[in-house]
Order: sequence, then structure tokens, then C-alpha cells
Amino acid sequence: MPLVIFVDDSETALASTRMVTNSMPIEVKQYTQAQVALAEIKAGMIPDLIITDLNMPVMNGLEFLQALRAVPSTSRTPTLMLTTETKAELKQQGKVLGLTGWIVKPFNPAQLKQAITRVLRLPV
Amino acid sequence: MLILDSVDNLLEHIEEVQKDVTHLSSESLLKMCAFIENGNIEVNDDIAAALQYQDIITQQLSATIEAINSMRVSIKRFSHAFSNDETLAQDSMSKLHDKLNKTLAEAKDKKSRFSGKILDSEDAVDTIEFF
Repeated sequence: MPLVIFVDDSETALASTRMVTNSMPIEVKQYTQAQVALAEIKAGMIPDLIITDLNMPVMNGLEFLQALRAVPSTSRTPTLMLTTETKAELKQQGKVLGLTGWIVKPFNPAQLKQAITRVLRLPV
Repeated sequence: MLILDSVDNLLEHIEEVQKDVTHLSSESLLKMCAFIENGNIEVNDDIAAALQYQDIITQQLSATIEAINSMRVSIKRFSHAFSNDETLAQDSMSKLHDKLNKTLAEAKDKKSRFSGKILDSEDAVDTIEFF
């Protein structure tokens, strides 16, 4: 099964995404700190999709994305930003770093599932 | 200045209350999530949105806590200057005014930024945008 990692400093946000994705044919790993996820990726974990929050302490979503692009195994891994932010300039920064898409909270469960299905090309 | 000490105490109290609210709100939601997950209850759109409101509440309160902290630092600097030098205090009063206005503008910007789709009309923001 494809591995999808979620990064969000809010445990409640992670719980929400877990409840929505638990019926999907994917393996899910969740992290409350981007730097911990990054360390595991550098240690050999290869996710098929990364979904990250933007506003997080220590390492924010864009810094995380930039760090991911510097790691050979995740230099092209599809990455979605899942955030309350709607600022165009932040989206532009994400685009420049090769972000796949931007999801605004609160997300609709069906739309999140569709986005994951589309990016991973899962059977519908 | 006694009045500023009172304002500082009041801000400290508001900050503590907001932190407590954030913590309780998070604990409450985690318990509800555990109930839903353990019971294998399917989450519909309305419930999924409601669960995510907590995250938005936390971010909004965190932004106001940051603003309160910033105000408290500015007030303390002014109080210190006022107690040491009257000329310096005049200058500090002007700086305090500017700083508080800047803090308010930043807090309002974060209120808008951290609201996701809550404060926008449904048409104004696409939930998902692919690049």
C-alpha cells in the first residue's frame, strides 16, 4: 500500500485526517513535528505522498518542503499543504518549491479523499 | 506606573485564560475523536468540519496570545523608561503607541489568515487547488 505521511503540530487535526483516511487503501504515518518526519525520511523512509500543515513551530510547512526537496528520495515526492492559510504569496512560495496542491481547512472529507486518490492514482 | 501594572496584570490573566481554553478545547476534541474512532463511527462532512474548527480555534487563540505577549513587553519597556527618565518616557510613549498599533495590525492579519474557509464565503476560497 502507498505510504502517506501527515505532518501537523495539532493532534486534533491529525485525528481528523486519520478518521477520514482510515477506510482508504493507504498506509498512514502521522507526525506532530516536521523535523521528526524529515529525520525518518533521511533514515530511509520513502513516502508516496506527504501532506503537511503550514504553521508549525521549529520547522514550518514551507521549510519542511524545502528540506524535502534537498533529500534525493523526496526531491519529487507529491506534497500537499493542508492549512488554514489562504494567502496567495504563500501558495506561490509553495509552487516555486514544487508543491503539488493547497488544501484549505476545514476540508471536506470527500474532497480530501479525492485529492489523495488523484495524486496516488488509486483505483476509484 | 500603577495603571500600566494593572493593564499588564489584566493581560496576563487573559493570556492564562486563553491558554486554559486552548488546552481544554483540545482535550475535549481528542476525547470525542477517540470515541468516534473506537466506535467505528463514520464521519460525515458536517462532523469533519466541526472537528477541524478546534484547530482553527487554537491558531486564533495562539495568535492573540502572541499579541498579548508583545503588548506586555512594550508596556514593560515603557514603564521602565518612565520610571527612569521623563524625556526618555516621552519618546517611549510614542514608541509604545506605534508598537501597540503594529501589534494590533499583526493580530488582525493573523485572524484573517488563520480562519481558513470559516470567515470566507464559500465562493471566495477553493478548498483544494492543484498547481
